[in-house]
Amino acid sequence: MKYFLYWGCSLEGSGANFLVSLKPVFETLGVEWEEIKDWNCCGASVSYAGANDLAIKVLNARNLAIAEANGGYDIVAPCSSCYIQMVKVNHEIQEDPELAAKVNSALAEGGLKYNGGVRVRHVLDVLYHDIGVDKIREKVVKPLGGLKVGGYVGCQSVRPYGEYDSVERPITHDRILEALGAEAVPFPKKMRCCGSGIFLPEMEYCFHLVKDILEDALTHGAQLISTVCPMCAMNLEVYQPRINKALGTDFDVPIVYLTQLMAVAFGGDLKHDAALHYNIIPPEKIIQSALG
Amino acid sequence: MEKKTAVYICTGCGIGDALDVGKLLEIATDDYSIPICKEHPFLCGPEGVEVIKKDIQEEGINTIIIAACSPRVNYDVFNFGADKIVERVNLREQVVWMQPPGEEDTQMLAEDNLRMGCSKANDTELPEPFKPEEEISKDILVVGGGLAGLTAALETAKAGYKAVLVEKEDRLGGFLTKMKKLVTMPYKELSDTGLEDLVKAVEDNPNIKVYTSSTVEKISGAPGLFSVEIKGNGNSATEKVGAIVQATGWVPYDANKLDHLGYGKFKDVVTNVEMEEMAAAGKITRPSDGKDVKNVLFVQCAGSRDPEHLPYCSSVCCLVSLKQAAYIKEQNPEAVNYILYKDMRTLGQAEDFYKKAQLDGNVFVRGSVANVGEEGGKLFVEADDELLGERIRIEDLDLVVLAVGMVPSTQPDEIPRIPAPEGAEGADEEGMIEVTPDSGFYATKALGLEYRQGPELPTLKYGFPDSHFICFPYETRRTGIYTAGCVRRPMETAKVIDDATGAAMKAIQCTEATSVGMAVHPRSGDMSYPEFNMQRCTQCKRCTEECPFGAINEDEKANPLPNPTRCRRCGVCMGACPERIISFKNYSVPMIGNMIKAIEVPEEDEEKPRIVALVCENDAYAALDMAGIRRMQISPYVRFIPVRCLGSVNLVWIADALSRGIDGILLMGCRYGDDYQCHFIKGSELANTRLTKVSETLDRLALESDRVKFVEVGITDYEKIPKIIEEFMETIEEVGPNPYKGW
Amino acid sequence: MASYDPSFAREVFENVDYGEEIKMCMQCGVCAASCPLSMRMDYSPRKIFVMIRAGKREEVLNSNAIMLCTSCYSCKVRCPRGIPVIDVMHGLANYAIRQGYTPRKKTAVFGQEFWKQIYRLGRIDEKDLSRRYFFADGFTQGIRNSLEMADMGITMFLHKRMKLLPERPIKGIKDLRKMLDKAAQMGKGGGGAI
Repeated sequence: MKYFLYWGCSLEGSGANFLVSLKPVFETLGVEWEEIKDWNCCGASVSYAGANDLAIKVLNARNLAIAEANGGYDIVAPCSSCYIQMVKVNHEIQEDPELAAKVNSALAEGGLKYNGGVRVRHVLDVLYHDIGVDKIREKVVKPLGGLKVGGYVGCQSVRPYGEYDSVERPITHDRILEALGAEAVPFPKKMRCCGSGIFLPEMEYCFHLVKDILEDALTHGAQLISTVCPMCAMNLEVYQPRINKALGTDFDVPIVYLTQLMAVAFGGDLKHDAALHYNIIPPEKIIQSALG
Repeated sequence: MEKKTAVYICTGCGIGDALDVGKLLEIATDDYSIPICKEHPFLCGPEGVEVIKKDIQEEGINTIIIAACSPRVNYDVFNFGADKIVERVNLREQVVWMQPPGEEDTQMLAEDNLRMGCSKANDTELPEPFKPEEEISKDILVVGGGLAGLTAALETAKAGYKAVLVEKEDRLGGFLTKMKKLVTMPYKELSDTGLEDLVKAVEDNPNIKVYTSSTVEKISGAPGLFSVEIKGNGNSATEKVGAIVQATGWVPYDANKLDHLGYGKFKDVVTNVEMEEMAAAGKITRPSDGKDVKNVLFVQCAGSRDPEHLPYCSSVCCLVSLKQAAYIKEQNPEAVNYILYKDMRTLGQAEDFYKKAQLDGNVFVRGSVANVGEEGGKLFVEADDELLGERIRIEDLDLVVLAVGMVPSTQPDEIPRIPAPEGAEGADEEGMIEVTPDSGFYATKALGLEYRQGPELPTLKYGFPDSHFICFPYETRRTGIYTAGCVRRPMETAKVIDDATGAAMKAIQCTEATSVGMAVHPRSGDMSYPEFNMQRCTQCKRCTEECPFGAINEDEKANPLPNPTRCRRCGVCMGACPERIISFKNYSVPMIGNMIKAIEVPEEDEEKPRIVALVCENDAYAALDMAGIRRMQISPYVRFIPVRCLGSVNLVWIADALSRGIDGILLMGCRYGDDYQCHFIKGSELANTRLTKVSETLDRLALESDRVKFVEVGITDYEKIPKIIEEFMETIEEVGPNPYKGW
Repeated sequence: MASYDPSFAREVFENVDYGEEIKMCMQCGVCAASCPLSMRMDYSPRKIFVMIRAGKREEVLNSNAIMLCTSCYSCKVRCPRGIPVIDVMHGLANYAIRQGYTPRKKTAVFGQEFWKQIYRLGRIDEKDLSRRYFFADGFTQGIRNSLEMADMGITMFLHKRMKLLPERPIKGIKDLRKMLDKAAQMGKGGGGAI
């Protein structure tokens, strides 16, 4: 299996632990990948303040066109925002030939053309449908010993198209956690928004969103929360001290990426492969005591 | 016929395990002298049925008593031909499934059921179908030549029968002639009315006789034997028909009553009907000055869903307004349509047309009109916008269209008055009294039936002819007469076509059934009919007045003149007659009386009370069976006797029961009133009324009136059965045993 | 009393990205009920749509609702008419900003700086973006903002979650800019990047 891995702008910075832990996981599972040549940003969720809709579509279509011209492999986007931006462009271009013509006439300015031939996949989709939980389970050498994990799904990994999982009751994240030997704690707010891209400018409102999510996970017994989106990881983790100060809570919940847990379960080094030391709220103790 | 009787007891389904079947067979043989009495472990199976058939063939058995499951099941299995009498005794659902096995009381219950069954079989005669002297017609009269009438006539002809169509206007088509376009399946776009083709199809059809500019003057006779007098164009004609479809349609609600919405005050406020006529005639313009129309506002529910006007929804007005909005857009794509609504009622697939109207850019405002006014030659409407949360003003309107509702043609403008019967309250100085909506004298003239109970179909609510809408929506309270289209309920064209087709089919069914002497409904296939022993008639008129279907006419001396083909075989007349002169071959006053007398009543000191429950066969008996299927346990002291309708309960049965020492009588039947369930419309209500007279008699005899009780039981009330029985048993325990026991 | 004015609705249909979708709204309110921030909005998404239809131009373009959308897609998934509510809200925000309205100035500035970075480099430089956002209101305010958030920045840096070196423009940046300019021109209602 070969894919284009499109990690996007945040996985080199604030989401570095995601990228670092993703690579050894893919290696263990035999996933081959390649970078999209000279890829550009996807525009994420806040570009509408600066650009009209067509410009944002063209921005994403450039990546798709380059991928199509260089092998056409499925694009795997670990970041949910990047994933949904590209999937959306794909859908709309495929359904509306007028729009496709407009996009291509803009792409032509850079000598590119997109014919709608590339598929965009989420990391969870590839792990669950292409690789399968059975293979993942096979590769586990250090089962996570019933570690209680809140599998936070967020918004943009499944909504709105629900291509690989249900939009109202998703299961892929939980099944993978279970394959690793962890216990996926059911908590209803796992589908709730964390505030996404407008967290920084709208901190006061978004604090409440995060508080609800963390409280819900803890009430249902989660020891830590796993996520598949750098935006969610940052919003849930980094602002906890500020939330505690503003709302009088005492959160200290480690937020890890699913791939970090996978790297640990596959027997990888906690630092080198799972990048656990990148996490600001340290998860090592909880994870190590679960490993036994 | 000379009866040769046999009794077969099935021991399957737990019956053999719970009862002493041998003792039952003894009773049949010894007490009722029945020559052949057998038991079988699986009577409804092919072998069991073979046993019976063998006896029929070899022993000449013609009266078969089957003591097994409920008569509501396996009636097809135990069908041995129209020339055999089959009596079913319920030992399963109502005995072994509701009582503990092997107990003495269970055995006594089973024995009494068998005794009653044997007694009933003894009193049953084979019905002979009613064959009138006149020949039965299978032609169908259709009154009204609108979409419903035309469709009914056409479908009748397509099915191979003849139709007579009478239309009062000079051209066929009804309201369809006023319409520009239709909105119908698949609700994506406007469709053509199809009027021309439809009228041509009817006029060209050799099996349809069309009278235009004509009305029905009067109809005499009965289903299969109707004689119709048609007047028109200065001529008079008589047709003989078998059944009638009334499709006389609707009129729009009188908008003159809607002056608060501006009608009559401003010329540019019109009704949806006037709007349609304008569109059909050519261009839609402002009525006041003939100028072009740019901004239109539709007021939905104008005088509908309003207790001061029409309390009900006419179901089509939302779609009609959307249709007319499309006309406006067709005329001028720049025009703006506002639709001011309470709810958008575009049901089912019609939602697609709502979506189209939205896509066209029509503006939907949810709210109610506060004020309609004029300013600078244009109209404005002020309304409370519910979704915006404030009062708004929509100005610069060229046209305001009031979406008014439908009123059935049967609804009279004024409530008619008839000479008051003796002793009636509320008569005026001239001795006239207002009729109630369910009277045959209420509706406006359409049929002119020569029925003692009135010339038109009885209505229930809002002037619509009534039928038992849950079970029999196409029917009316007159056998052989069916309503179709908007006269029975406001409906859109797609449904009208369905409705008319159904009514035509029912009408044909009626003529076919009547021609072989069968009842039409709900006792479909019943060959019996009430026979009157006129020698003892005292002309009290109870039967003619109380028949729910107007089946009995009267002569000048008040003698009843029965019309068997109008009859639904409910037996209400039988229950009403104080002289007990009415009977059916297989259902009579003495028959039930003998069944009651067949019950063994223990002595007072045995402390085993006995209750007789007269159970209506439609809902209450079914509810009992369902309680049995669910193994709900009840008191073993109740003896259930199915009757056709509680209306057929003759008060002499209560006297019989009490004089034999029965401690209590329970009447279980359908709900009555505005929301009635009674399958014969008035039966259970009449039973209840008659019971009030019984309580007076009981009190005089120093018997507690609590001993006789009426209970409403619907088919879905089976869970309540144990409680109902328990409560009644408690009452009987309180009043104590019947002092007439052992006399 | 408000006068119903259909001209703003027409303006929205013609000039706002996905604006014509609101024709299909039947005002069921599921979007408002699903939206995580609807309680903080002055008008819920449903209300915004009926206000557009009624012609309340100033209220809509000044509302904070159009800027508070987190793009969670809950509304789009549940709308019985299939309206992409989030895209309409984004379109309205873009239109409002172009027309000179500044609801929720900080959020608008953040989004604009985000896009400017993309236009400049083809990718986002997280620390540079934060810096530009903090200093959008001038130097003094910028220092104040930076000091307030300094602890977070330092923590991220110490945990290797911040790229040290500045981001360089992608190789095809000139072509990208040409493409984006063309797209801006062709955009709905004469588009135009800001």
